[in-house]
Amino acid sequence: MKVANTDEIKRSNDLEPMVGKIVEILEESTDVKTFRISTLDDKKPFSPLPGQLGMFSLPMVGEAMFSVTNQGENYIDMAIKKTGELTDALHDIEVGQEIGIRGPYGNGFPLDYLKGKDIVFIAGGIGLAPVRSLIMHCIKNRADYGKLTIIYGARSVDDLCFKDDLFNNWPKVENCQVYVTIDRPQEGWDGHVGFVPDYIKEIAPNPQIAIICGPPVMIKFSLPALSGLGFAGDDVITTLELRMKCGIGKCGRCNIGHKYVCLDGPVFTLTQLNEMPNEY
Amino acid sequence: MIVIDKNKLTDLLDALNQSYQVIVPAKSADLTQFMPYDAVKEKNAEIILNENTVLSPKWLFLPQSEGMYAFWAKNKKLEIVDLPSDLEKMRIVFPVRHCDVQGIACLDKVFLDERHVDGQYLEKREKTVVMALMCNNPKDSCFCASMGVDRAHANNTVADVQVYDLGSEYAFEALSDKGQQAVEAIKALGSEKTVAVPEVKEQKIKVNIEGLPEKLSGMFYDSIWDSFMFKCIGCGTCAFICPTCYCFDINNKIRGEEGVKLRTWDSCMFDEYMLMAGGHNPRPGKKERVRNRFLHKLEYFYENYQMMLCTGCGRCLRKCPMNVDIVKFINQANAK
Ligand SMILES: Cc1cc2nc3c(=O)[nH]c(=O)nc-3n(C[C@H](O)[C@H](O)[C@H](O)COP(=O)(O)OP(=O)(O)OC[C@H]3O[C@@H](n4cnc5c(N)ncnc54)[C@H](O)[C@@H]3O)c2cc1C
Ligand code: SF4
Ligand code: SF4
Ligand code: FES
Repeated sequence: MKVANTDEIKRSNDLEPMVGKIVEILEESTDVKTFRISTLDDKKPFSPLPGQLGMFSLPMVGEAMFSVTNQGENYIDMAIKKTGELTDALHDIEVGQEIGIRGPYGNGFPLDYLKGKDIVFIAGGIGLAPVRSLIMHCIKNRADYGKLTIIYGARSVDDLCFKDDLFNNWPKVENCQVYVTIDRPQEGWDGHVGFVPDYIKEIAPNPQIAIICGPPVMIKFSLPALSGLGFAGDDVITTLELRMKCGIGKCGRCNIGHKYVCLDGPVFTLTQLNEMPNEY
Repeated sequence: MIVIDKNKLTDLLDALNQSYQVIVPAKSADLTQFMPYDAVKEKNAEIILNENTVLSPKWLFLPQSEGMYAFWAKNKKLEIVDLPSDLEKMRIVFPVRHCDVQGIACLDKVFLDERHVDGQYLEKREKTVVMALMCNNPKDSCFCASMGVDRAHANNTVADVQVYDLGSEYAFEALSDKGQQAVEAIKALGSEKTVAVPEVKEQKIKVNIEGLPEKLSGMFYDSIWDSFMFKCIGCGTCAFICPTCYCFDINNKIRGEEGVKLRTWDSCMFDEYMLMAGGHNPRPGKKERVRNRFLHKLEYFYENYQMMLCTGCGRCLRKCPMNVDIVKFINQANAK
């Protein structure tokens, strides 16, 4: 890696966010909301690749990393689960709120590698947020990808995110199958009941690539299910989450061995993960 | 080279102080550290030239706490503004030993990495003249030579002036344009001479780092970590005094509707460093944290930047309250 050589001295810092504003808020589930973010002059803050990240902040409270789950002409969307100080405060803000935003960060999904292939997307809970950015990309560029299979699970109906996509939009997409499951039976739910790893075995998808993201236990039991179906290490692609502060490989927070999740990740193949120390 | 008598040290510093802010190693509050020459005079502090300082000069480029930007927030409004530069004058730091010059070279790799150049760091680097001193009085705990530091010639991607200690005189050799300007400012105090690079005294500690990164890349799960972890109390001293440790945290200083976003030194040796939602901690114990510190210095950084993140300055050997010893570690790893 080369060291920069520039005569122009800038005070500017990549850690300084730009000011954006919230133009829309969608309630996804009991504890997840999607925030639509534009710049103050109604432009897109930045154009991430599917799987890339953004640092979202209320400077008075804090700053945290989220996947950009979707994007449009003049906005990016982030789906945020309420888990602590900043995310609690975010759940209280209203449309029109000005916020800090910086990015895009991370590598994103390997689009060239995925082109032309059949893909199965497996997600649990808020894990659908990063996976969704790729699903949306595949749908927008439908001809570039093969069959799309989406397997998604959450604890209960109330915990399902992106219901409009799951039940209305995605099933209508050409050559796209959507499977949704909840952990326990619930009144009014006539869909599938059971955990994601078992559902994978039941569906026994046969495509070439699996994209998987969810809570650690779901990943832990889904990986054997996938290898049982014949998926190899390079066919399984996942995104990792570690504590992050800077997002640009400097603060030291998110290393696994010599790799930084914010810079070299968050997207890794199973083959890559197996070569890394198990510190995540 | 310009040769100046050591008796003229005060004249030399005063001459430089006219057009630069001069920073020197000095003793204040019983701690040796790099301080502005003006503060040294004001506090009547003692300038320390014959030994390396307890605190490294890294704060000149990565301050312990540094404002990044200011913000103002009220109701739905938010403003974010750049902070004015805190460097009015060019700075000159004299003298910096070669181990610490190498420490700055390590920081350069991170903060000037062209994928994300850190503007604030770059400004501090460009507005500072580094005068490197070839030191011929190593401490018993110094091992920079083993870590690849050239004891006769400082890393010239960092050093602007090379200074040689000739006993009763200093010899100054400019290595860069800004170094040349600094030498011009003191030329009148001495005379132009050709001098031979003095001999350096051998260091007591010698370690072998040949092939070490490759070797360590296979030792993540080795039992060696069990014998190193139990002593560490996670105080973070080693990281704060180290010239190369650069981990930082980001936090706020808020007053009413206004605030400043700060970055402050942090350390991977603290137990909450990586703590995540639901209590998951990827490096839950001392073993994992000591391992990360040593492997970052001796393997990971080398893989990313082809350079060790330890300069052999010996500070952690001198100051760790529990004697967690990187030299002992390297020797034991080599013996495996
Ligand atoms: C690459 C990446 C992508 C992410 N994508 C999303 C997303 O799309 N949607 C979403 O809702 N969340 C996402 N997260 C998680 C999100 O960053 C954390 O939920 C958030 O930082 C919590 O902040 P808080 O201030 O509300 O919690 P805090 O009050 O700071 O902390 C609450 C708890 O969360 C822990 N924590 C702090 N930061 C993180 C972190 N980065 N990851 C996990 N735990 C953390 C704390 O240690 C504490 O236990 C992502 C994280 C990463 C690293
Ligand atoms: S190694 Fe020593 S100085 Fe470093 S954190 Fe542990 S006890 Fe403190
Ligand atoms: S690890 Fe210890 S010897 Fe190495 S540079 Fe840091 S303080 Fe100096
Ligand atoms: S978040 Fe700072 S190094 Fe990755």
